[in-house]
Amino acid sequence: MTTTATTRSRVASRVPGILFSLSLIVIAIVFFFPMVWMVASSFKSNSAIFSTPFALPSSIDLGQWVKAWDVGHIGQYALNSAIVTASSVFAILLLGAGAAFAFSRYRFRGRQVLMGALALGLLLPLQSYFIAQSTLFTDLAITDTRWALIIPYTAMGLPLAVYLLKVYLDALPDELFEAARIDGAGDFRVFWALVLPLLRPGLATVAIFSALASWNEFLLALLYIQDDSLKTIPTGLLAFSSRYVTDYGLLFSALSIITLPMIIIYIVFNKQIVEGITAGSLK
Amino acid sequence: MKATRRATPYLFLGPAMLVFGFAILWPVFMTFVYSFTEWNGYGPMTFVGVENYAKAIGDALFRDSFAHVIFYIAVTLVLEVLVGLCLAGLVSAIRRGSLWFRVAIFTPVMLPMVVVAVLWKFVYNADFGLLNAALKGLGLESLQKVWLGDTNTALLAICVVSGWVFAGFYMTIFYAAFNQVPSEIVEAARLDGAGEWQIFRRVKVPMIRNAITVSVLLCVTGGFQGFDLFYVMTNGGPYGATEIPTTYLVKSVFSFGNVGYGSAMAVILTAIVVVVGLIFARVSGSRAERDLS
Repeated sequence: MTTTATTRSRVASRVPGILFSLSLIVIAIVFFFPMVWMVASSFKSNSAIFSTPFALPSSIDLGQWVKAWDVGHIGQYALNSAIVTASSVFAILLLGAGAAFAFSRYRFRGRQVLMGALALGLLLPLQSYFIAQSTLFTDLAITDTRWALIIPYTAMGLPLAVYLLKVYLDALPDELFEAARIDGAGDFRVFWALVLPLLRPGLATVAIFSALASWNEFLLALLYIQDDSLKTIPTGLLAFSSRYVTDYGLLFSALSIITLPMIIIYIVFNKQIVEGITAGSLK
Repeated sequence: MKATRRATPYLFLGPAMLVFGFAILWPVFMTFVYSFTEWNGYGPMTFVGVENYAKAIGDALFRDSFAHVIFYIAVTLVLEVLVGLCLAGLVSAIRRGSLWFRVAIFTPVMLPMVVVAVLWKFVYNADFGLLNAALKGLGLESLQKVWLGDTNTALLAICVVSGWVFAGFYMTIFYAAFNQVPSEIVEAARLDGAGEWQIFRRVKVPMIRNAITVSVLLCVTGGFQGFDLFYVMTNGGPYGATEIPTTYLVKSVFSFGNVGYGSAMAVILTAIVVVVGLIFARVSGSRAERDLS
């Protein structure tokens, strides 16, 4: 009696399961289709894109990709993005860990005020500062240098980094630090030899969402960088798309070159990335 | 822990506070100051009191930009949060192979918005775009449109792109939340004869209320800050149909040199985002307290 009941409920729950899977397959295809179309079109000429938009390319000719890479300076843009992103992430991790350590482990005058100031950064939108930031950067002549991006990206990443790393540090037992102190370690030694290694998982999470934010940031890059040789991928692609506004095959190639590595990175690291992005947004 | 030197905490804190203060706090303060002036960015600065704020409130274009962004937020709440919730429900209801769906649907979140915007400009292209080609293939030529050039469809077209990107993002958040729901509760409901839809609607969704509140907050405050898609796809056009506060204030400041007026609009926008954020924090905070007691 009980067994037939459970079998029946198993069968009953399997039928919607198949329906769910089918509908998900359809949804996934709809979601993915624009990207498939993009890659397929990157191997086509303009006339083929116009006449047979859905057809697969007649041959996989990487010539347009090579051309897009060369004439579009995509390598240069990618390098700029890599330099700006790596520098910002490194600064966020180092400065963020230092600040989180100070807030978490020391009691000092001004602690509450400084913590409050940093917490403001979690609430304030980009719009609240970018106008005056741009006049400030113009006055100091750091627009059209990489600093014009590294400094604000670091500053934008710090509040959340400090907040998350402090949560990690707060969870560590006091005895750990007291023991290090008894062993004769000074403040900086405790930081290097104890805090940084213990923070590794937290630092990895912070690194992921900070890296994605810097890699994809557009508005400040648009305002501060006019020099084409310093442009990052978002603004570089925009410049490219206005230069080759009617060479669609070439534009699709550029889009594919930028997109595919990110999809591969995502497939390989999807667990860490999902964790990083959701932690980064659930502030 | 006691510091070995009194200066230690400040040494650890100094660099972070310096960068943050220099690049964010000081500019926030100065934007506020500029909002009471008339200034083109380099010439003399005149103090004009609250004139810029009065002008902003009376500016029909600025008001329209708010109407557009509120429409955008309302539609994306459905296309991103609600669709994300349903997708998460579907994904968590199947037992195997969910990883590939999650990968496929989440991928757009990884891409720079500019890449997404340029790609979708092609999807919407009137001559060879995917959308018009699909309509033609289905024999629905009468529905073909210049999607981004038509004042009736441009804003909605951008909302759809936003949904395409972020539905996967919210799905991921909700999927993680669903996984926290104790399986005994779900099983108990199933033994009581509840169907998948009832389990979803009456058991799982109520149990992830917090994640939903946070997502709505993210969608609303993020919506007010939208820029990339709008700038690349239409830059406010056609005829201002997709003008949102940020594209409008970027134009005012960086094309027309109205730093003072742009700053006043920025302050208004900031106030709205911060107030919405604080209200949500209050609401979800008091709800958490109620849940605990």
